Order: sequence, then structure tokens, then C-alpha cells
Amino acid sequence: MACQPSRTSDRLIVASAGRISSLDPARANTFGALQLLSAIGDTLYRRSANGELQPSLASALPEISEDGRTVTIPLRDDVVFHDGTRFDAEAMAFSLRRFLRIGRLNYIVGGRITAVETPKPFLLRLRLSRPSTSLVNLLTATNLTPVSPTAYSDYENRALNDRFVGTGPYRLTNFRAVQQRLEPFEEYWGEPPRNAGLDLIYLSNSTALFGAMRSGEVDVLLSDAIDEDQRLALNRMAENDQLREAQGPALVIGYVTLLSNTPPFQDPRVRRAMALSLNRELISRRVSHGLRPPLRSLVPPALPGADGVSWPSFNIAKARTLLLDAGYCNGRVLTVPFTYRSNVPADRLMALTWQTQLQRDLPDCLALNLNGMESTTVYRQLGDGTFPAVMLDWRGPYPDPEAYLAPLLSCKVSKGFICERGEAAISGSFWTAPGLDEALKRSDRSRGRKRLDDLEAIEAVAAEGAAYIPVWLVTARAWSQTTLATPEFDGNGQVRLAQLKEVR
Amino acid sequence: MSRGRELLRYVSTRLALAPVMLWLISSLVFLLLRVAPGDPVDAVLGSRAPEAVKAELRAQLGLDQSLGKQYFDFLWGLVHGDLGMALIDEKPVTEIISRALPASLELSVTALVVAAVVGLSVGFTAIARSEGRLDLAGRFYGIGTYALPPFWVAMLAQLLFAVMLGWLPVGGRFPPGMLPPEGSGFLIADSLFSGNWQALQGSLRHLVLPACTLGLLLSGVFTNALRLNLNRTLRSDYVEAARSRGLNETQVVLRHALPNALLPVLTIAGITVASLIGGALLIEVTFSWPGIALRLQESINQRDYPVVQGIVVVVASLVVLVSVAVDLLVALLDPRVRY
Repeated sequence: MACQPSRTSDRLIVASAGRISSLDPARANTFGALQLLSAIGDTLYRRSANGELQPSLASALPEISEDGRTVTIPLRDDVVFHDGTRFDAEAMAFSLRRFLRIGRLNYIVGGRITAVETPKPFLLRLRLSRPSTSLVNLLTATNLTPVSPTAYSDYENRALNDRFVGTGPYRLTNFRAVQQRLEPFEEYWGEPPRNAGLDLIYLSNSTALFGAMRSGEVDVLLSDAIDEDQRLALNRMAENDQLREAQGPALVIGYVTLLSNTPPFQDPRVRRAMALSLNRELISRRVSHGLRPPLRSLVPPALPGADGVSWPSFNIAKARTLLLDAGYCNGRVLTVPFTYRSNVPADRLMALTWQTQLQRDLPDCLALNLNGMESTTVYRQLGDGTFPAVMLDWRGPYPDPEAYLAPLLSCKVSKGFICERGEAAISGSFWTAPGLDEALKRSDRSRGRKRLDDLEAIEAVAAEGAAYIPVWLVTARAWSQTTLATPEFDGNGQVRLAQLKEVR
Repeated sequence: MSRGRELLRYVSTRLALAPVMLWLISSLVFLLLRVAPGDPVDAVLGSRAPEAVKAELRAQLGLDQSLGKQYFDFLWGLVHGDLGMALIDEKPVTEIISRALPASLELSVTALVVAAVVGLSVGFTAIARSEGRLDLAGRFYGIGTYALPPFWVAMLAQLLFAVMLGWLPVGGRFPPGMLPPEGSGFLIADSLFSGNWQALQGSLRHLVLPACTLGLLLSGVFTNALRLNLNRTLRSDYVEAARSRGLNETQVVLRHALPNALLPVLTIAGITVASLIGGALLIEVTFSWPGIALRLQESINQRDYPVVQGIVVVVASLVVLVSVAVDLLVALLDPRVRY
């Protein structure tokens, strides 16, 4: 380490995986881009690390009308964009309308917002097509970060990929796909950054990221792309006070999808047997040394409405009974083609571990035939019903149970327990249950305790159907050198870059 | 026909055939990409985007057109020097390539120099003690470096020199805390011309590990080529004749044998540099070197058709140009060559 050249500036170097191809909130959809946007922009609301909803560019929590179809948001009056333009209701409306018009992820709004109004200079009003409790959490989504109407006047209907003019604590002073420079914004309305600026760099693989952190080349490592062994090594270094490690909310779920409209998984007993045969604790231990906690619900436990235990735990005797009922075992082994994403090392290890566990626990009943396939190909063929069983993961675009349940369970056209068109079909399970879609819509209308009960009921139905088998949670982690304070996460799983500070 | 005219005819034929070859290659890439499973729209929108949104983007990108129409548009653009717009970055493909190509060329040329210097030195030393221990070591070196998996060697080099010893950076092309000098994209040249010595030092430090790793892995080819050719040349009649005229062994080797033995090596060097431009994939990925090969890998994963097509066409063009140039050089240097 002594051979590394000395630093030429006080700026901190933050490394992550993933080249940034667009910085436009209407286009950005990668971990790195959203993390960067969270430092150079603000949202109306943000979630604190303990899940509390806090106003950011809004000056107070939203007022929701009696019928739930109008949301009124008071805005701060002391905010300016990086180009000096004043932030007001018109600026926010400009950004929201722009996102709804050209946002590549505008489907996450799901047609809920029908009109954006500006009754007063610092008052924003959203008209909704239906009452939506999850909308407030949607307003914390980084994709809804406002942009300066002045700077984006020529980009109202098209993306501006390599520049960004927002309201965040940093302004972007240099952008390349592999490196970005952020300088503190002197007129920032909130608490100023605790560091002299940041250089964000991109390294293309886990070993390079790990090596850069170990050799001290970078100050902070943010990544969801660190291989398990290296994640464990970093974890151990943190335990030995060689690094500092921070954990964010676990918002990524790993799960298995079972194709439920054709044999053998058309039979719910076989699906349940699969769910019961999965030893999550063993898999978590073997694959991630326990760093990916076992998961028994579709909604991450960090979010309200997740009971965390809807799916049954490992029970090999019950699995055998169900398989016997379905006509397997005693010489008739059910061999399941199990697909995993070959470019995701943890998935491959999970598949291998489960295969071996089944060889040990149910050798006469159930076997997995593994098939590795590159992610892009898997996602392309998922909705075609190509994979009888496939390991996937999902991170909701905003921290709300709706963002996890609807993408897996909602269904537009169904026949009995088979979803013919809708999210459940796109997700590759083709499974639904009578009344499930209506229950999903109802849960988004209800509030408070009633909503939590509705969500629990939905998870219970999904667990009974067993078309999805939750496997594990992926916890967001970040590491810093010991000369820095431990990084802090917000409730959306993003590191608060402005809070990074030296402690020498 | 005079030799000069023969050569001119040969080069003209090669150059005339180049567009045909490029057309075949680009057509093949166009077709293979469309046949391959995976959808660029999924890469842009995510797999869960509603079908209507996907259809809209597909239409916007022209992917809803018939394959024939897409192919015709692609060829039409190609003929007019337009490689299209990248689906993911929404930038002209030519701009993306012009930013990534200097990085690859800088790496390739440096690696080639390392490969040539090390490979030829080892090969020459080995043949100097023919059938001795040095020769055996040279043979092992030639085969060993060729057989070692590049990603494994690259990772070992990374772990040893960057992580454990901390002598060199783990990856990237420029120190993260500095901004690269503006200019041609060749950072070493840009740093030199702008007199920015700190940038030059930073660029060189980042170049050493990937270039040496790649160069050493390629050097075995040079070692073997020189060993075999020099061995054969040293046994040829004209070398024996030189010896019989009383020339000492150094003169025989350096003046008579080596120039002839180096001619096939020149051809190999040409092929190597051409393949390096697009083929240093594993090195670029391992060392996060932002070159054309890393870009190609990312674009294949994202099914960014125009970028993949553009990179393949540009790399193929460079391969054709380099191979013609090498043929020309060999013909100029070797009067025995006939076309």
C-alpha cells in the first residue's frame, strides 16, 4: 500500500459496478445511476433508515382527500436548482409530467396520476385515477427527482443523458460513463455535504472492486455486485477493524418461480412440496455464509405489511407426503429442469446446493436438473413459459409492499388459477387465484391496520399457491476505509453520500 | 509482369475484396444478433414493463420493422458511414466507438511491444543454445504462456501486484481523483502533448499491469515463431554458405539468418495486432479497461444491436487494413514472395 501514489485532492473516491449510460431521471434504471442521482438530486419525500417517511423537497407530509383521489403536497420555498432556477410547484410539475411522458419506467406509476396541478407557487396537487396508499412511497422513488425546467427546456420530450441539473447537495461537474465528479453545491437548502466532493468510479468486476478496496485505492465501495467470497472477506475485514461496513435495508428478494400452468407444477401439491423441500438456512449458510438471510415472504421484512413467515419452513417429511400424494417417490423420481442465471454466481451456488440437498433428503422423489443461462436470455423467455423452475431476484422500484406483490401477482386475464395475461404471466409463473387481483387493488386503497391485514392475507394466499418460493434477502452493504466514518443508508437502500466524512 | 505491378494488382484485389468481406461479416452479425434470444427492449425497460410500453419503444427504435427493412436500413447507413444510434446510451455509435477505440489501441500496441521484446528475446536466447537447457526453457515458455487462461493470469497479476503488493492500480485507465487530459483519447500521447506529467505518470501506472499481462501471454507466440524459423534458417544452404565463407557466427545469425527468420514473425505480429484490437476482451474486463472489447461485451449483454454491429464492422475493417499492410510490408521486404 505504501507504493500507491499519494492523493492529490481531498475528494473521496467511491467505487461501484455498472457503467452509467444515462443520468436522466426519466431514463436511469441501474443501481449506480440511481445512487448517483440520489446525491445530485432530491425527491419530494425520503425514507429514513428506520423506514420513516420524511419530507425533503416537500415541506410537510401530503394531504390526502376523503375519497383518496387527490393528494396535495406543500413544497419548500427555499430551494434552487444547480443552475440558479428556483424550485417551485411549476418546476416539480414540469419534472413529473416529463417523467410521465418520456420516462422509460413510467409504468411504475401504473396510470395512477391523471393530472398534475399547481394551484399555488409552492403547492402541488396530484389527481389520481384511484385511491393509492402506495403513492406516497412512490414519491420517494429516485426516478421522480425534479430537474431544472430551464436546463431541460430543450429536453422536455427527450432524454438528457450526460448532464444533470437538480437540487441535490452536490452538483455534477464532470460526467463520463466510467467516472463522475461531484462538487458540493454551495446554495444547497439542506445540510451541506460533510466532504470536499466525490469522484465516483466504475470497475467492471467484483475482483477489481474488492482489490481496489483492499489496496486502499478507493475510499468507499458501494455495490450489489460483489461475489459472495469477497463479500465475506470484506465482512471479516470489517469485523477486524480493517474496514468499516454499513448495512442498509434488505430490499432485494431472491426467489424461485414455478411454471404453474403446465405439469408438473400445475399440481399445487408438487409446488408446495418444492417449497417445503427448500432448506433456506442451509442454502444461506453455504452460499453466502449467512450474509443473505433466509426469506419466507415476498415482501421484504423491512417494509410494513410483511409478516416474514408466510411460506412454510423446511419440512422434508411433509414434502415427501405431498409428492407421494401426487404420485411420485418409491421409484418415480420427479426431475425438475431448474434454470439459474449463469452470470450471477450466487444463483449458481444456490442451484448447486439445493440440488445436492435434494439428493440427500429426497433421493427417491425429487431431483433438479440444472441449466445455466445468461440473464438477458432468461428475462426474454420468462413470459413465454419456457422455464419450469427458475431462480430470479427482484428489487421494487420504491419501498412499498405494492412494488413487490403487484409485479409478481397481479393478473389482467385469468381462468381459474391460471393467469393468461398480466404481471403473473410476465413473471413466468402464470399463477393467480380467484379474487387475488381484486385483493391487491383493495390493499392499495386501504390504509393503516386494514392495509397491513390485507397485505398479510395476500401473502398467505400466495404462499398457499406456492407458485413463487422466496429464498433469501439481499442486504445492501457499503464499505469504507477506517479513516472514514461508517457509511449511512437511507430507507430506499441508497448510501447517503453527502454524509461520508473523514474521521482522522 | 513486373514485380511492382504484380504487387499493385494484389493489393488492389485485396482492397477491392475488403468491402465484400465487410458486407459478409456485418450481415452475419446482423443476422446472428436477431436470431440470438434476448430483447434490447427488455434491457432498456426492464422485463416487467407493460407490453404496450415495450411495443412503443420497439416502434421508436425501428425494431418492429421487418427483418428485411431493418437489414436494408442498416446497410444503407453503413454505406453512408452511419452506424446508427446506440439503443441504451442514445448516442451515435461512431461516437461510442471513437471514445473506446483509443483505449484499446493504446493497450494493444503496448502489449504488442511487450510481447515482441520479451518473446523475441526469449526465442533468440533459446536458439542460441539450441537443444540445451535454455532452449528447453524457451520451449516451455512458448507453450506455457500460450496455454495459460488469460483471465486467470490477469486475476493473479491483479491480486499480486495491485492488492497484495500495492505497486500498481487494480483497474481502470486513469487515476480516479484526476480528470484525464482532453484530446485524442490516447491518454499517454495527450498527457505528453499537454505537458501534464502527473497525468502521464497516472496513465502509465494504469497501463503497466494490463499491457504486461497481455504482452507476456502473447509473447509465447513470438518465441515459438522465432525459435522455429531461426532454427530452420540456420540450417539452410545460404547460411552454410555464409559460414563456409568464414563469417563468424554472430555475423551469420544477425546479418543472414535473423532477417529471413523475422519475416514470418512480422506476419504473426500483424495478425496479432489485428486480433488484439477486438480480442483483448478478458483482459479489458478483468482490468476494467474501458476499451472496445469491454464495450462489446456490455453491448452484447444488453442486446444493443447497433453498437455490437458497429464495433464488429470497425474491428473487421481494421483487421483487413492491417493484414493488407502486413502483406505489403512482407512483399517489400522479401523479394521471394510472388502473387
